[in-house]
Amino acid sequence: MKTKASPKTRWGISRFGGSSATLIGASLGIGLVFSVGAGLLFARLNASEQFTLVAVVMTACLLPVLSAACWALLVDRDSVKGATKNPEISVESQWYDKAAIGVFQDLLIICGLGAALFSFVQVSVSLGLTLAGIVLVAMVDFALRYLIIKKAQG
Amino acid sequence: MENNLSEYRKERGYSQQALADELGVSRQTIISLEKGRYDPSLPLAFKLAALFACQIEDLFIPEQD
Repeated sequence: MKTKASPKTRWGISRFGGSSATLIGASLGIGLVFSVGAGLLFARLNASEQFTLVAVVMTACLLPVLSAACWALLVDRDSVKGATKNPEISVESQWYDKAAIGVFQDLLIICGLGAALFSFVQVSVSLGLTLAGIVLVAMVDFALRYLIIKKAQG
Repeated sequence: MENNLSEYRKERGYSQQALADELGVSRQTIISLEKGRYDPSLPLAFKLAALFACQIEDLFIPEQD
């Protein structure tokens, strides 16, 4: 018996049902709740002055990221237009794996050399900013490696 | 790895996109396979062999040492 194929849209539909608009609304709503919560917590812990401004800026920074994360958790992949059914056996999956392996090796070298260097030179830096920097380096490294592999093997 | 995928695909009247849709992979995967730049995983090789009703060895020619 053939089952009716689910409609495919640009943003997809939720795995719990509903329309694209429902999914986007739910993602934005949940993202907003978590963003406001995190913004208020950040301001409470870090800003004795300009509490409201700090909370609003933090909320604005987190809202797109958390909403996108909520969408990724809620969406039914099969309902997204253009999404391949078996991405794990597509060539892009192999490019991803190769790039990720390269990034892992680069991070080992960077963090290893950095740890060796800063055991001689004492520098006080924010742990949060340092970790954010490492994540940024990893993301840029990944993007470059992926593009190079794609150009070479595509 | 060399392969006869292009010949099998054209023989059966599939476009690259149609074959990709049939297998649930990206069109780029078919392009890379036909160019010999991507060695397929075992599940993908089995899917191709099943689709073309042939053996994996008919589609893919392993490199000789």
